[in-house]
Amino acid sequence: MMNEEYCKSIGFMCGLEIHQRIDSKEKLFCNCSTHSISDDEVPVGSVYRYQRAVSGETGKIDIAAKIEEQKKKRYVYNIFKNNSCLVDIDEEPPHDMNREALQTALEIASSFNMIIFNELEPMRKEVVDGSNTSAFQRTTMLGLNGYITVNNHKVNITSMMIEEESAGIVSNSENTSIYNTDRLGIPLVEIDTDPYIRTPSEAKDVALYIGTLLRITGKVQRGIGTIRQDVNVSIKGGSRVEIKGFQDLANMDKYIENEVIRQQNLLKIKEELQQRNFIFKFGEIIDLSPIFKNTKSSLISKALSKNEVILGVKISSFKDYLGKEVNPNRRLGSEVSDYAKLAGVNGIIHADEDLIGKYHFSDDEIKNIKTALSIDDKDSFIIVAAEKQKAENAINFAISRIRNLSKLIPLETRATYDSNLFTTRFMRPIAGGSRMYPETDSKPILITDEMKQEAELMKPNLESAINELRDAIKDETMVKKLLLSPKYQLYKEISASIEIDKKMIADILMQKFTEMRREGIDVDSINDTTIKYAFELYKDGELTKKGIVQLLKIISKESKDADKAELSKIISNNKLKKLNKEELLKIVKEFKEKDEKNILSAIMKDYNIVVEADELKELIDTNKDIKFTN
Amino acid sequence: MYSGIVKRLMDDNDLKIGDYVRFKSNKFEIEGKIIQNSEFTKENIIILKYENGYNLGLDVTGLMVEKIKRADEAETESEAKAEISINKDLPKISIIYTGGTIGSKVDYRTGGVYMLLKPEELLSSVPELSNIADIKPRQLFSVASEDMTFHEWRAIAKAITEEINNGSRGIVITIGTDTMHYISAALSFMVQNLNVPVVLTGSQRSSDRGSSDAFMNLICSAQIAAKSNVNEVGICMHKSSSDDACIFIRGTKARKMNTSRRDAFRPINDLPIAEVKMDGEINYTNDYINKPSGKLELKDGFEEKVALIKVFPNSDPDIINYYVKKGYKGIIIEGTGLGHTPVSGDPEKSYLKNIKSAVDSGVIIGMTSQCIYGRVNSKVYTNLRLLSEAGVIYCEDMTPETAYVKLAWLLGNYSSEDAKRLLNQNMVGEIRNRTLYDEFLI
Repeated sequence: MMNEEYCKSIGFMCGLEIHQRIDSKEKLFCNCSTHSISDDEVPVGSVYRYQRAVSGETGKIDIAAKIEEQKKKRYVYNIFKNNSCLVDIDEEPPHDMNREALQTALEIASSFNMIIFNELEPMRKEVVDGSNTSAFQRTTMLGLNGYITVNNHKVNITSMMIEEESAGIVSNSENTSIYNTDRLGIPLVEIDTDPYIRTPSEAKDVALYIGTLLRITGKVQRGIGTIRQDVNVSIKGGSRVEIKGFQDLANMDKYIENEVIRQQNLLKIKEELQQRNFIFKFGEIIDLSPIFKNTKSSLISKALSKNEVILGVKISSFKDYLGKEVNPNRRLGSEVSDYAKLAGVNGIIHADEDLIGKYHFSDDEIKNIKTALSIDDKDSFIIVAAEKQKAENAINFAISRIRNLSKLIPLETRATYDSNLFTTRFMRPIAGGSRMYPETDSKPILITDEMKQEAELMKPNLESAINELRDAIKDETMVKKLLLSPKYQLYKEISASIEIDKKMIADILMQKFTEMRREGIDVDSINDTTIKYAFELYKDGELTKKGIVQLLKIISKESKDADKAELSKIISNNKLKKLNKEELLKIVKEFKEKDEKNILSAIMKDYNIVVEADELKELIDTNKDIKFTN
Repeated sequence: MYSGIVKRLMDDNDLKIGDYVRFKSNKFEIEGKIIQNSEFTKENIIILKYENGYNLGLDVTGLMVEKIKRADEAETESEAKAEISINKDLPKISIIYTGGTIGSKVDYRTGGVYMLLKPEELLSSVPELSNIADIKPRQLFSVASEDMTFHEWRAIAKAITEEINNGSRGIVITIGTDTMHYISAALSFMVQNLNVPVVLTGSQRSSDRGSSDAFMNLICSAQIAAKSNVNEVGICMHKSSSDDACIFIRGTKARKMNTSRRDAFRPINDLPIAEVKMDGEINYTNDYINKPSGKLELKDGFEEKVALIKVFPNSDPDIINYYVKKGYKGIIIEGTGLGHTPVSGDPEKSYLKNIKSAVDSGVIIGMTSQCIYGRVNSKVYTNLRLLSEAGVIYCEDMTPETAYVKLAWLLGNYSSEDAKRLLNQNMVGEIRNRTLYDEFLI
């Protein structure tokens, strides 16, 4: 594990960008529903579009945008009845910003003690990978200069934005990407930290802290994909690399450590090349297709059968470099290959690979490649199989990456790649600053003092939430679990309105609910208010703790929205009603008469749903001397 | 533009748009570049561009300000140098630029939307155009289409004839979409015996966004101008909401049917002349004029005193008298259904008397329908016959907009009698004598 001292010594810099969907009823800039569509929902229609990079604010075309455009992809957008309208398919200007989402965002900003602006200016951030129908994302900065304290270390929240979620990708092929527009436009907050997180494991702690804070608001969406953590990492001599796509936080630190190692390995390669005064020399791009006329390589023959070509290029005096491992099971060749993929090809084949074992090239073919590209013992080469223009583009992308090896570590956006080895792959160059421009279709938003005051009043406070829970339930593990649980809001509501043992509430909502889920009981579909009634009935002495659980099991089948009277009825119909003192005394008497040795356990055996053991024990103890006679 | 307290603060501290400043209060410090506010910005708020590219609005009340540095001179220069490669072997076409969304972009220095001043900028952002034709760009003016008058229409018509006389085999006109169908109708009448395709195009999403419809619209328009032998004026815009194909609609039979969709322009009582794809594939779907019947000629008179009015339930027929009193020579009515105005009910609400006296005083009154689709008819109902007998001319299957343009044009170039006679006679394809089943809602 990389500790603080080590991280300091390598100039480790790390910051987080957290995106969390807000649970507003409607989307940020239109009135479509934010509820997710069912898995089998059929779109009411679809449209398709092409996008192109346009000059940004500085007049320059952003490199990330240009690369996406070079792919000349067709983007198909599925439209859903309740979840997408003309705004979502870029056919109508945006409506006003959703006030509910804005207010939630302001509450979150308040909890970070941010400077919230007096007027918000919606912006467009250019995105031409197709994930936004408009080719930009609407994003608005709310405030600056907030902070949180994690591990007694102050982490600055440099800025916070409220923005639109992108469209969800359904499928992606070489020429077409298909997106669903139901997700597009759901409000998100983006929370950016400063880059001074001290170690990879601290990054994980900070992400967990912010994630928990967001959840305790009760106003954010939950479930897979509703929160995303991007990590920015660099080391001295390296470059800022953004890693996206963490499925969960558990292994965030391991991915960060691997990124550090990757940059260290690239730095070693760079230094070695510089020491050698290495100058890159590439040969002509040569069409090697004729060499493979009778090839046994299925990859190559498949390409040739589609009228594609096999292009190769020599890299002088570069033997063995592409085979160097930069991360577990990731060679330099894989890094270069990722760049080639920008052209829409499947990857590259390079000289340091096992051409016979992996690709089934014959000795003759290898010999002929070497002759055609005039490769000697020190040279290396790369090969690409694709349609001609694409193959050429791919080789040029690969060459441009290789050229940089002796100069710098590129700024990159990377995606998680191998979830067992915690490695990442290059996705695209990091987006430049030229991607921002004003959203002229929407008005600036005035933030009034009243809005700020309300936010201040409603803001979540993690420290006090934790302290309250600790006092109430005195179980550290349970406190953490409950805070992160979707049932936390319900817990808060029940514990605030019904005077009963808080630990018991937590125990039922957490432990018992988990057990019931395991038994296949759909306990999560029960209405929160109905659950609350069950606790009220407990308070009224109608139910025991076990009785609550039993009742929930019953109503999870057909009375999910039952009111209190209905619940009472179900209780009596199912004989769940807690016994009162008289009834209990009567039973104690009966059992004593039967001369039971252990009355307590004997009674509990028969009446455990309607009797609380501790109450029974007390009853027996206080009535020890009473003789039960006729 | 800033005013009030912000302007005073800027003046007092010698601050200009583009300057880098630091605002301070006892709670915070924020640095940024001053940029132009929008018309919606509250008076005491200044807009700064922060280092991360975002804009933010600060209430300057009670804040201290320090200038950090002056605006970058380099930044204020216009950007994006246009490079147009020219292939002289390709068909020669002209692109006449007149303004509108297709030619607008955000000025990043100031934050406002501005019209592009150089047509080259548009061309450089659509490099495909240089593979389609040898393009001659020409900027006429930069006027939003809703602000255009007969004056601009004439200038466009004149430019068309000039470009044709200079050897262009096709003309593309980029224009605002709001009144594009009025202008396409006007040009259809003004440029007589047209001998090249004249293609009007625009965009519903501005060309500074990657999703703009401008790119495909321009490419498809250039394809028509460079390759087709349709000797008519038409509108070429998206066929559907997808970037699939454009349709080329006859200039007198087009209408903007949606406020914001990219497929807003539809043929009315007509089929599209052609469907065109970006790769140059053109499918003709209707008849069209492919040979001029005489010499190219400009007939660009327009009568100013022509009105287009809409009748509606409980409306006041005095509107007719109003125009007559103002000396109007022609009125096109957008009637209900087959071409009604209130006639037989409450005498106070009947248009009949006013129409009759207007016609008697020499005003030409034409009838169209607010149904938009379909043909007006002067015979089916008594009320129609009454209006017809009063001298109202039923304008067949013309849209109200085309009828308006036509009447103004007729009165500008012909005698009143001829104008009256020609109003419901087909001249350039604006009236078709068959109404086809498959023309509705397409």
